[in-house]
Amino acid sequence: MNSHDLLLVHTGTVIEEDSLTLGQLCRACGVHADWVISLVEESIIEPQGGELRLWRFSGASLVRVRSALRLQRDLGVNLAGIALALDLMEELESLRAQMKIIGHN
Amino acid sequence: MQYKDYYKVMGLSRDTGQDEIKRAYRKLARKYHPDVSKEKDAEAKFKELGEAYEVLKDPEKRAAYDQLGAHWQAGQDFRPPPNWNEGFEFRGGGFTGGDAGAFSDFFEQLFGRAGFRPAEREQYGFHARGQDSHAKIHIDLEDSFHGATRNISLSTPEMNAQGQVQVKHRSLNIKIPKGIKAGQHIRLAGQGSPGSGKGQSGDLFLEIAFNNHPLYRVSETDIYLELPIAPWEAALGAKIKVPTPEGDVDLKIPPNSRQGSKLRLTGRGLPAKTPGDFYVVLQIALPPANTEKAKAIYQKMREELDFNPRPTLGA
Repeated sequence: MNSHDLLLVHTGTVIEEDSLTLGQLCRACGVHADWVISLVEESIIEPQGGELRLWRFSGASLVRVRSALRLQRDLGVNLAGIALALDLMEELESLRAQMKIIGHN
Repeated sequence: MQYKDYYKVMGLSRDTGQDEIKRAYRKLARKYHPDVSKEKDAEAKFKELGEAYEVLKDPEKRAAYDQLGAHWQAGQDFRPPPNWNEGFEFRGGGFTGGDAGAFSDFFEQLFGRAGFRPAEREQYGFHARGQDSHAKIHIDLEDSFHGATRNISLSTPEMNAQGQVQVKHRSLNIKIPKGIKAGQHIRLAGQGSPGSGKGQSGDLFLEIAFNNHPLYRVSETDIYLELPIAPWEAALGAKIKVPTPEGDVDLKIPPNSRQGSKLRLTGRGLPAKTPGDFYVVLQIALPPANTEKAKAIYQKMREELDFNPRPTLGA
């Protein structure tokens, strides 16, 4: 690494709520659009915008799609199971966060 | 190179049937899956498990592995005997799926290199562009509160010209935008995997998480502080100096405040279009009755206050 790299500061873009298109989401997660569409049909991720070409996904969808991919690939969970597992994991996370706030670490 | 005991990794004996191997894998995979498990070394265990299963689920690979013999100990220095795999044929370098790049030298020595699933990229139609990559970074609450520049280190498995997977370490200086929340992503264009040919590099997605803070807890844009107060401060009211990320403020505790009450300082949470709020959660601390004087005061309270802390319990 040279001194130029040390000084270089990268400024990224924050992914605002509901800003990712279907194509961007697929590319970011390395998955096929058909599979993402099936996740939407199962309500695993919920885009804004009525029709497919107007769909916009949140940054949180990135996390859900990638978790879904791992659950399917590693554990052989089907879509209904993925939906259930992700919802339960999210609930667990939020309970853990609340525990932290009230001081039970 | 160290010998790996795949049976031990899966907690199985050498004569376990193929069906039982699958069942054992499913059970352990649920236990150690990084998305599900909270065990500290879950990720390492899960990788080890994936590698063991990759070998044992495949009768060809299992047979080849078995004929190395049972006298090896896990961790023992290992060289494969010459022509050890004569007569075995492994399709596609012996690698059939799973998360590539994560397998040990031991596996690669026996079954060949997994490569980095180049097929996947082509399958999905992005021929030339590099893959997008993902990382989670932990920042301090203050970084988001004021905005900051932070140096982050990333390790990425990459394939070199010889097709070997190497873990590449690099560090980047990045700007943390003011008001970023946990769970939000920053996209750095062109900082993902390099493209092939003249293709562009992919993007790097950074998921933001906050380090635990010694004083504050954060929920979305709201910040919480637990404030210990004395019983008389809660009962009679008080003015107390409390820390906030913007500096100390004088907080008025109203008389007759109760344990766990939340006092809100509007707009003093994380900066945003609509800034979050700052909440002070009251924690009433009891003075210990460890002197005669303190005991006398508690006794006086018992005698003179008509106080039932359990009015709803009936008894």
